[in-house]
Amino acid sequence: MAKILGIVSKFYDDYTKTTSKKLKIIDAYLLYIMLTGIVQFAYCCLVGTFPFNSFLSGFISSVSCFVLGVCLRLQANPQNKAQFSDISPERGFADFIFAHIVLHLTIVNFIG
Amino acid sequence: MLIKYYVCSILTLSLAAFASASKETLVLLNNLVIKETHSILFNTLKERGYHLTFKSADDPTLVLSKYGKYFYENLIIFAPTVQEFGGSLNIETITQFIDDGGNVLFTGGVSTGSALRELAAECGFEVTEENSSLIDHLNYDASDSGKHTLVVTSSSNLIKSEEIVGKSNEKPLLYEGTTVITDPKNPLVLPILHAESTAYSYKPDLPVKDYSLGTGKDLLLIAALQARNNARVVFSGSLYFFSDVAFRTSVQKVDGKTYDISGNQEVASNIVLWTLKDRGMIRVKSVNHHKVGESSPPPSYTIMDMAIFLVELERWENGKWIPHNANDVQVEFVRIDPFWRGNLNNLKNGKYEFTFKIPDTYGVYQFKVEYNRIGFTAIRSSTMVSVIPLEHTQYERFILSAYPYYSSAFSMMFGVFIFSFVFLHYREDKAKGE
Repeated sequence: MAKILGIVSKFYDDYTKTTSKKLKIIDAYLLYIMLTGIVQFAYCCLVGTFPFNSFLSGFISSVSCFVLGVCLRLQANPQNKAQFSDISPERGFADFIFAHIVLHLTIVNFIG
Repeated sequence: MLIKYYVCSILTLSLAAFASASKETLVLLNNLVIKETHSILFNTLKERGYHLTFKSADDPTLVLSKYGKYFYENLIIFAPTVQEFGGSLNIETITQFIDDGGNVLFTGGVSTGSALRELAAECGFEVTEENSSLIDHLNYDASDSGKHTLVVTSSSNLIKSEEIVGKSNEKPLLYEGTTVITDPKNPLVLPILHAESTAYSYKPDLPVKDYSLGTGKDLLLIAALQARNNARVVFSGSLYFFSDVAFRTSVQKVDGKTYDISGNQEVASNIVLWTLKDRGMIRVKSVNHHKVGESSPPPSYTIMDMAIFLVELERWENGKWIPHNANDVQVEFVRIDPFWRGNLNNLKNGKYEFTFKIPDTYGVYQFKVEYNRIGFTAIRSSTMVSVIPLEHTQYERFILSAYPYYSSAFSMMFGVFIFSFVFLHYREDKAKGE
């Protein structure tokens, strides 16, 4: 147990020290999305799947936002510069916004 | 964009529609004497408006149709011993005639000719062997010659169908001739008159050495086939059954019971009129369906609509079509399998109604009325309709229990908006900003 605690505290220390503030903002955003998704899922389990299309679009919007957020985080991370050498950070962010526009149009269409 | 569905309506009206016109009848005889010995029956037919054309069965000019058009709607063959028909008439042309909706009545006898045996086999009747006769040592008429082949059979052996044989009565029936057996599994064959349980079929002059083809109630004296196209074919093993002698004679059973007159005339006339489609004819007059509260069929139904199906049936009686009332007509709403099967509610005057909710499944459906009753023409009517899903504007909106999902979806949008601002305006090197 103590070992696990040690690992977690080391992880936390490393995270606070080495991770840039920009990535931390993204992480906070991702956490917020994940909580929303969990709340929706729990709600669906409690009250049933009746407006199933609404549940699907609500839940899928959370999941997709999370995925898009993770993508943005990968591209914004300076450690991955080598992999995304031909994609500038501005380009990455523009892709992120574009994907969101498409996503939310679909969601609003489907939510009923 | 909405796909347009067109309602396609197929109405399979039975051949009954032509019943009123089917009066042309060809009567084939062994010899023209039969015209006189069976005059009562022929006169009955003439009174009912049938136009009879008498010809010898081996007349070389016999012809049923020319250029695909039939001269006759009905064929009566009172020529039991005919081996081969004359002219262009043969088993193929007669079966084709039946396939095209013609009605045939034919009789056999103690020596039934090969032509009629073949024709009987085509219709699902097997005539018992050559020279064999119906014999009943317990139920024969007093005027019998000693071989017990003039059999008295009770009217309770008749099929229970008023349409075919008329109202039941006590009068016994006189019968002399051969018999047929049929496959009881054949749904199209009707046993109109079967033998008493004490009867059997054998050659009357020979000692019984082997088991005969059939005994007792398995033997059919008169059998009918109502084909899928509602053409009617009746075979009787006895020409005598339809004769004036049998109609007019009194019956004295061997057990001493006497009757002033046999029941032959009534039963035989009814059977012949049934064969020639003067009795037991029903048809669909009209089919209608619409949504509750409307009066004409919509181009398509939407799932879960309330719909009404209406059908009108008529019966041919005494020369005209009158409303047919029954309480056992059903309708099915079918998409491969029936989704609904319900009793049609009789509204009097031959009108029937069924109100139901269209199922929650879209597709192409049919309203099917299939009505098969013994003695009546089979009704098969199907009307195709399409059922479409709800249109985009017909769905329920702003459902209370869905508000968490709505709010989460919008909070996602709002979240990305806020996040974009924070993300874009944040500078890593704070020194510059501060």
